[in-house]
Amino acid sequence: MSKNISELSGRKGLKTNLFEELGLLAKEEGTPKKEDLERLADEFLIGKANVYGSASFYDFTREENKGKKVYICNGSSCMTAGTQSKVHDQLSKHFAAEEIGEMCCLGRCHENSSFNFDGRNYSGNAIEKIEDIKAGKDKPLDHYHVESVGSGMLTEVFSDIDTFYQILKDSLAKSPDELLSELKKSGLRGRGGAGFPSAFKFESCKNTPGKTKFVVCNADEGDPGAYSDRYLLEQRPHTVLLGMILTGYIIGASTGVLYIRGEYPESIDVVTEELEKLRQKNLIGEHIYGTNFSFDFKVIRAQGAYICGEETALLSSIEGQRPEVRIRPPYPAQQGLFNKPTVVNNVETLACIPWILREGGDSFAAIGRGKSTGTKLVSLDGFFNRPGIYEVDMGTPLSVVVEELGKGFKSPVKALHIGGPLGGLVPMDKIKDLSIDFESFNQEGFLLGHASVVCLPESYPVIEYIEHLFQFTAHESCGKCFPCRIGSTRGYEMIHKARTSDYKIEKTLLTDLIETMEIGSLCALGGGVPLPVRNALKYFHAELQPFFNA
Amino acid sequence: MKSTLVDNKINMNGSSLNGQKTEVKIAYIDNVAYEIKDGETILSFVKRNFGKDLVPTLCDAPNLDPFGSCRVCSVDVALQENGPAKAQASCHTPVMAGSYIYPSSDRIQKLRKNIVELVLTDHPLDCLTCEVNNNCELQEVAAKVGIRDVRYPEGKNHLDRKKDLSHPYMTSDMSKCINCFRCVRACDEVQGQFVLSMAGRGFDSHIVKGSEVSFKESDCVSCGACAQACPTSAISDVFESKSIAKAETTRTICTYCGVGCNLEVATVNGKVKSIQAPIDAEVNKGHTCLKGRFAFSFYNHPERLKTPLIRKNGELVPASWDEAYEYIAKELTRIKTDFGPDYIAGISSARCTNEENYLMQKFIRVVIGTNNIDSCARVCHSPTALGMQRAFGTGAATNSIIDLKYTDCIMVIGANPTDGHPVTGAKLKQFAMKGTSIVIDPRRTEMAKYATYHLQLKPGTNVAMMNMLLYYIISEGLADKGFIEERTEGYEDFKNQILANDIDELSRITGVDKELARKAAMAYASAKNAMSFHGLGVTEHSQGTYTVMLIADLAMITGNIGRRGVGVNPLRGQNNVQGAADMGCQPHQGAGYYDLTNPDYQKMYDDFYQTDMPKHIGYKIPQMYDASLNNKLKALWLMGEDNVQTDPNTNHVKAALGNLDLLVVQEIFMTETAKMAHVVLPAASFLEKSGTFTNGERRIQRVNKVVEPIEGTKPDGQIVVEIMNKMGYPQAPYAPDTMLEEISKIVPFFAGVKWDELGENGKQWPVLPDGSDTEILHIDSFKRGKGKFHNADWKESQELVTNGKEFPYIITTNRELEHYNCGTMTRRTKNAEILTEDVLLINPIDAAKHLINEGDMVCVESARGKIDVKARITDEVLPGILSSTFHFPEIRMNDITSSVTDSDALCPEYKVVAVNIRKSKGKYKLEKV
Repeated sequence: MSKNISELSGRKGLKTNLFEELGLLAKEEGTPKKEDLERLADEFLIGKANVYGSASFYDFTREENKGKKVYICNGSSCMTAGTQSKVHDQLSKHFAAEEIGEMCCLGRCHENSSFNFDGRNYSGNAIEKIEDIKAGKDKPLDHYHVESVGSGMLTEVFSDIDTFYQILKDSLAKSPDELLSELKKSGLRGRGGAGFPSAFKFESCKNTPGKTKFVVCNADEGDPGAYSDRYLLEQRPHTVLLGMILTGYIIGASTGVLYIRGEYPESIDVVTEELEKLRQKNLIGEHIYGTNFSFDFKVIRAQGAYICGEETALLSSIEGQRPEVRIRPPYPAQQGLFNKPTVVNNVETLACIPWILREGGDSFAAIGRGKSTGTKLVSLDGFFNRPGIYEVDMGTPLSVVVEELGKGFKSPVKALHIGGPLGGLVPMDKIKDLSIDFESFNQEGFLLGHASVVCLPESYPVIEYIEHLFQFTAHESCGKCFPCRIGSTRGYEMIHKARTSDYKIEKTLLTDLIETMEIGSLCALGGGVPLPVRNALKYFHAELQPFFNA
Repeated sequence: MKSTLVDNKINMNGSSLNGQKTEVKIAYIDNVAYEIKDGETILSFVKRNFGKDLVPTLCDAPNLDPFGSCRVCSVDVALQENGPAKAQASCHTPVMAGSYIYPSSDRIQKLRKNIVELVLTDHPLDCLTCEVNNNCELQEVAAKVGIRDVRYPEGKNHLDRKKDLSHPYMTSDMSKCINCFRCVRACDEVQGQFVLSMAGRGFDSHIVKGSEVSFKESDCVSCGACAQACPTSAISDVFESKSIAKAETTRTICTYCGVGCNLEVATVNGKVKSIQAPIDAEVNKGHTCLKGRFAFSFYNHPERLKTPLIRKNGELVPASWDEAYEYIAKELTRIKTDFGPDYIAGISSARCTNEENYLMQKFIRVVIGTNNIDSCARVCHSPTALGMQRAFGTGAATNSIIDLKYTDCIMVIGANPTDGHPVTGAKLKQFAMKGTSIVIDPRRTEMAKYATYHLQLKPGTNVAMMNMLLYYIISEGLADKGFIEERTEGYEDFKNQILANDIDELSRITGVDKELARKAAMAYASAKNAMSFHGLGVTEHSQGTYTVMLIADLAMITGNIGRRGVGVNPLRGQNNVQGAADMGCQPHQGAGYYDLTNPDYQKMYDDFYQTDMPKHIGYKIPQMYDASLNNKLKALWLMGEDNVQTDPNTNHVKAALGNLDLLVVQEIFMTETAKMAHVVLPAASFLEKSGTFTNGERRIQRVNKVVEPIEGTKPDGQIVVEIMNKMGYPQAPYAPDTMLEEISKIVPFFAGVKWDELGENGKQWPVLPDGSDTEILHIDSFKRGKGKFHNADWKESQELVTNGKEFPYIITTNRELEHYNCGTMTRRTKNAEILTEDVLLINPIDAAKHLINEGDMVCVESARGKIDVKARITDEVLPGILSSTFHFPEIRMNDITSSVTDSDALCPEYKVVAVNIRKSKGKYKLEKV
């Protein structure tokens, strides 16, 4: 990350945004023309190399994306479901091979067979109607079950904007400190995976001097298998938007940035439409409710890079830099977007804030278990008899989610991959020991993460799944730190070779590799993939043994 | 080692000082407590206590921000003694009070080994044939962590990447790249050029130049920072500067600009092999530009002068040194006897050492007996010296470049430092990218592109511009009343005169929008600390001295004098232009700037030199030419200056030199001026002699002889000493230590300067008798007591008054990065392959008007003459304004410049020349000289 480029990009800021310009330049042909990139570099007073370097990073702006018309989801859930070769066959009848690309997880894990055509996502039976879709006759449908057990705050019925924004009106009558103290009481922790206390972050940013500050919503829900953020953005957008406005009021920011993944076109549309409604009602902009508080939004369409879910990579991405993970300190709360104090939070975390400020921090803290307060959205994939989004109180037993909510499995499953590709691989006999909260998963050697659940069917070879995880990491590694950049590729090669030839893995070498990645990597990508690999080695030892040296 | 550790150990109860309990923060390294310094990283903490070798690193570099990519520097950190530890990258993790650091635990040693093993899976193992064999950081770290084999099965790699040998200097072999980003960061954080970036992602991420082009096609400015930063040989240079195939290295000072970069010159068999920038140099911290790092091969160029030449029958023919000295001594004696000493003059050189300049003025004053001594400072910063002396009492930079770390606002006036002073320029650009900056320049220079406010004034209107800024500072109530009252005089009159200006008229004169000027004035005045920098765009004008005084006014009115991060900081042009003036190479002040007309100082000089010294002011350079043309000057001695190519109005200069009875030129090459000489004396280059240079921040630094003088040549100082002896004056042989001893006795601010005590980073004058030096001037009071405000009204240059109607365009001259002034040296290096010619910058509107296309030859005509130069169409200049350089003699740019000079300091007005243009038919295009 370059402090200079943060500043230079920050001069134009969000109005003419470098990253957005890159995306626009790629729109026509799938990748920007070199002369356009060079013009952009001149305009922003940065190097041609920087702009080229950024464009070459993202799935949807790099040269390989040129001419792509349709994308097949290659996320974990669609992969284990085994639906994608059929999708590919169907699409091959209508598109040339070089027109077919891949996208990693469209968030249609509830029914799989997912693909993206012309900026729209399709799944389930849609592939059957590809001709109609191509002709523009068929509109994408997206139905999944939503249910809450327990307190149900995020899934609660949304009345209307005016009623809901009463929370804002009431909050603006209070001081930021009063609101912050409610947040502290609530014990709210980040839902993105790390579980960091939100109020602590807010306070730190609030206390950092600076006229310009930002609230950034990390809506780059890249974990294959997770679609709970997509649910909130599309079905309950105002919980998120109001959460951001309130955060802005607390920390002293007047700009909110929603960084939404390009793989969620519908989310971007819904949020943009809802923002327009807020603008009509003067609920965003200058002097909201006649107060001195002003707040406005910028929606940024991401361009396909899992690493952008890491908050510092996300900030660099908005700045138009290569989204390479930054060192900490400085933390974003001190020096974030354009080198200004910034709070970055996940969609679900921000969505909790209106409820907390309406009901009080204590009420939130009363829900859940121990230091895991409030509720948690869980997304279940298509192997469940009733896939969908479930809101449960923190501390709810995993078995309740699997059996009572998901209604068990359609076909035999041998493990649940919970919390994204970097989450733990939970064998069936461990389900009974887990409950939906940070502590329970940590204690048992797993990770709650974003609480997405992808099923590994009985028939699916674990060796292939580990290979997939390494491959995913190698594909998504930003390339900055040595352990992840080289290690993920070497890990993939080793497993692939063992699976496809008579090569046997040296056990020490693999454990050396995963330890190197785990303790040596700069961020949770390289540092995280060892967890499911370790789980696999531990719980599926017998299945994996033939691939190892005796 | 052990005893040091114990000494550094801390009493865990905290130390007590003067009975007061002071809190000492500690952390533990291998369970032993050490004191923490504020803001320290674990790596610096461990290094401070255990030296640099305990924790290996790959991506860390001393002049770059911590980055955290290699992870090799990881250490174990625990909250309790031998408690559960977390591996943390020490380079970017702050050391936490009370933490327990285990830099070499078993786990960490294994981690390092495993990371390096991964690196070696994608690195050629051809160390024996590699340029950096035995000087490779990867090799060193691999050896240290003890890699014996690479266990991974063969996989993807990048060993087949092609070398890039496209560039005259820079080379790359990306198969050797370990993706540490050091080059990318050096290009960004040090040079600010953004030529390099990573591209692609993950395992495919790779370094690119521009949009994946070669070094040659890229925007690389060849500073070499990336090559020096690279831990392997992935990026290097054609001189293989990282190879250990060198006999020895010598630290010396760059001979080009006034920044004064330290250089580390490697030699093999008595020849220069390559140059690097020492990382511990205070001035340049491992950085330098392509002139300093690469443009050294002029020194043994076949065209070096190797024997004295005497003009016989109109031809310069080789002669012995004795013959030459005999000839000169005879002629000088004749002229002195027949006409008097004032018929002889000398021009010293800002390219030469302090000691040589001192000797030159001593020769002219003591041996010849006249004050007709001047130096090339005349044609660059003489108005600075004069203007600042009038305002403050001292004509030198008030502050130091390091103050950029402490300032809140910079104002760059008439200077193009990214080309003219590249290392300081890079620092200014770094500041401008992040902080508030004001650039006042007729051209949209690199600095102007990054500036917060660019005031693009019409050339020749600096005084009006300064008055605008002063007007707004006063009218907006931003004058620092406390400072003005306490430290200055003449403010009330000054203020009234400033407020009497018609601001609309000033705006019309300068062409600068009032509101923009107001904002810039407020930015400068309201910054807590503001620094100004100025260059030849201020001084080379008919109102140069006045502009300098107004810049001083700006500093005083805002109280920006006498502390860190403020001041008036002229960017001195040549390597030793400060020193040449300090040594007395000007006709009105002797060594140490004493006024020659003051009887007290006259007596002091008489006593010091034990002779009756000349008492009246001598000729400045332009006056020397006039005197020659009026037969009042018969002999002129030039030490290392090419006046014919560099002084304005060439025909006038040539006529003056042609009218002399004796023209002696000390030179390293046959310059345009040397061609006119009666005697040419072959001098040694900076690499071949010792002495001191004083940079633009008054830093006296040691120049150390790197190689023996090329056979047949002698150091300038020795030449002067020998002619002094020849003329009967017993001057001891040239040696820097004894010369400095003499200088320290007469130049008060050199009082404590001793050759042996200058160290590697020199000392900033004034150097007190006890040897302590001075970073900031005028802290409590000005040299002259109170700072003095001066007013000046703008006056149109006589050049435009006389010729502006007939010649409606204004051409202003400037410099390009690749060449140094008239290019005598840089044109004899591969720099000439990078920038091959002078060009004319012309606005698209003007080009269209005259049907001029990019690359067309344009005839530029002034009242003095006409030249042909190739057009480069650009909006860097406004319509009506042209700009060009005089690096190449064949263009003869100074055929058209005028003899108008600064009213007070007589510095030529290179920056405002009235011309007309037309598309050339090539009629006046000259043969390559």
